[in-house]
Amino acid sequence: MRLSRRTALAMPAILIAGPARSADARIDLVHLFSGADHPAQKVIAAFNDRKLGVTVVSRQEGTTYEAITTKAMAGIAAGRPPAIMTTGWKLADFAKKTLGAQDFNAIYGADRTAALMANFRPGLKEICTVGGSLIGLPWAMSTPVLYVNMTLWKQAGLDPAQVPATVEALYPLAKQLQERTGKQGLIFEVNEWLPQAFIQNAGGDVITREGQPAMDSAAAVHAIERFVEPRRMGMWNVLSIGEMVTAFQSGAIGVMASSSARQSVIRAQAQFELALFQLPGLEGRPRRMNSGGNFLAVYATNREQREAALTFFQHIASAEGFRPWLATGYMNTTVHDLPAPGNEAAHAQLAGGLTSETIWPGARGLEALQAHIEWISRIVNGAVSVPEGLRGSRQAVERLISNA
Amino acid sequence: MVSLSNHEGIARASVQTASWFDRLTMKRFSSRRSPLIWWLMAAPAVLLCLGFVWLPMAATFGLSVVDVNVLRGMAVWRGLAHYGDTLANPDFHLALKNTAIYLAVLLPLQILVPLLLAYALMHLAGRVVSLYRGALFLPAVLSFPIAAVVWLWLFNPVVGVLNAVLTALGGMPQRWLNDPDMAIYAVCAVSFWKCFGLNLPIFAAALANVPPELRQAAALDGAGPWRRAWHVELPMISPTLFFAGVTTLLLVLDEIVGAVDVLTEGGPFKTSTNLLYFLYERAFRHFQFGEAAAVATLIMGLVAAATWLQFRMFERRVHYA
Repeated sequence: MRLSRRTALAMPAILIAGPARSADARIDLVHLFSGADHPAQKVIAAFNDRKLGVTVVSRQEGTTYEAITTKAMAGIAAGRPPAIMTTGWKLADFAKKTLGAQDFNAIYGADRTAALMANFRPGLKEICTVGGSLIGLPWAMSTPVLYVNMTLWKQAGLDPAQVPATVEALYPLAKQLQERTGKQGLIFEVNEWLPQAFIQNAGGDVITREGQPAMDSAAAVHAIERFVEPRRMGMWNVLSIGEMVTAFQSGAIGVMASSSARQSVIRAQAQFELALFQLPGLEGRPRRMNSGGNFLAVYATNREQREAALTFFQHIASAEGFRPWLATGYMNTTVHDLPAPGNEAAHAQLAGGLTSETIWPGARGLEALQAHIEWISRIVNGAVSVPEGLRGSRQAVERLISNA
Repeated sequence: MVSLSNHEGIARASVQTASWFDRLTMKRFSSRRSPLIWWLMAAPAVLLCLGFVWLPMAATFGLSVVDVNVLRGMAVWRGLAHYGDTLANPDFHLALKNTAIYLAVLLPLQILVPLLLAYALMHLAGRVVSLYRGALFLPAVLSFPIAAVVWLWLFNPVVGVLNAVLTALGGMPQRWLNDPDMAIYAVCAVSFWKCFGLNLPIFAAALANVPPELRQAAALDGAGPWRRAWHVELPMISPTLFFAGVTTLLLVLDEIVGAVDVLTEGGPFKTSTNLLYFLYERAFRHFQFGEAAAVATLIMGLVAAATWLQFRMFERRVHYA
């Protein structure tokens, strides 16, 4: 075979360029954030633009944590796990015990892990630790806050500088807003998360540190009695979360308690003056608010992929890497001084200290979580009394946890 | 005689040709002598059924008697415990009851309304008919997630159109999808809107195929429109009605899952769930694959029983022309 001079000259260049291209490690980041212009895409694009020898591939594989987890399970079973996945806090136990989320200290060593976590606020490391293993990076952290339609608030003759710090003080004002404007006074999201904030602020726990269900303690009953009070006062029309957001965005509701992470969506549509406040606590009880959202966990089983994941983590832990992420409404969990206009309430709550979202233990933890949500829904809808509902929840959760 | 012997010759030749053909085909490939050829001819269909129906069914049953960890490839023998647990589970009872409600509401509606519309369209003339037929069929081609976005807006208790209309008429606003007593019927309404168009062209085609001379003869005998419909047209389209009954039963069981998932997620507190959604939750929300397989096997049994019942009750009334 004869080679032309041009081919002969080109061959060394091809041999050099070939290995250079293949040196780029490609890792998948499985997440649930929709839309090409979502900040998650901007974070990934900014990282890839730095050309650090790692290419992160964005893979939105669902819109719920359960959906992306199911697909990840299929990948893991087939021997192709995602390198990184946004993992809901409620799934932390499942992620560690079943999916095999990696312990950062084991795969990166104590020094490199400590250096990485030094970028994040003190106290968050504990939230990301399950059974003694640090399994996640606290990337997407939210907390329940109060969204107030200030246009309606002022229209009702209420003082814009005086949004109460306790629910006992808030409820009469929301009632006043409803009577004077004809709009719905207040709405809470019906799930397990917001009631958890109430229970903790009353001094109770949904599940104790030892993993025992405790949602029917006297403190919890007191908290949930306060939680459903607006329903009894006739100012909380119970809606699904989707309906609630739509209705609030349209200006039909005065006050809404929901996740701080919804603010970018709500601000984009709201045609009224919107203000966010810390979630009110309970009178005479110390504040003890909870966090939510998801963490980035590593599922890669080969060394190259894990190291590539660390390179990405180091980028997003930097000020430059974290800045675009704040547009979501998630909190700044890093130690970097980054502006997050409009999200001051959530950050003030974070500064006051946050607990983790309830982690539902055992192989049937997710089922236990749903059973608890259904009992909360029965209580809110008036199908059972608060003590009955919470007792029903504890019994259901205990049964599921003990069967695990 | 000549012509007779000619006929005999032709007859003899025919018999000879037939016996030659028989030898070539029927005798040569008769089932007694060579069953292989018949299996070869049936093989594509048999293999497809085996691969996509029978083996998955067997695998589902196999999965239902173990607790499986798909990630570690481990299985622990549970025997029939998953069946016992499922049958004792009050959520399964609720899903079963709700499935019966969905069937009781939707099965007659999905048959009767398209049938009445097909009758009405048969008596209309002009271009407007095809336009009208197309408009009625349109929801059937939409996907549930897209349709649900519209319906979620309509159902919104605070800013939705339905409550606006209701209050304008002097009624009380409703929590369509959040009221435990109402959610299941709201899901029924959306599912009906989405699926009723599927049977419409089938019934329209069946009615168009009824021989006009039968209608004319009945009319000459003095039968009015009602008697013609009841005694002539319905018997003539009874095979189509039977087919629609069986397929609609399966459609109601299956298609409703999309509506439930998008509109209510089975809530509030499982009051709008059904058997298939219960199965979906066991498998893909709670990752209890063994239990989910037991539920799937029970559903297969129930559907087979319901279909057998349909055949038993209605097939004898079907008039095959």
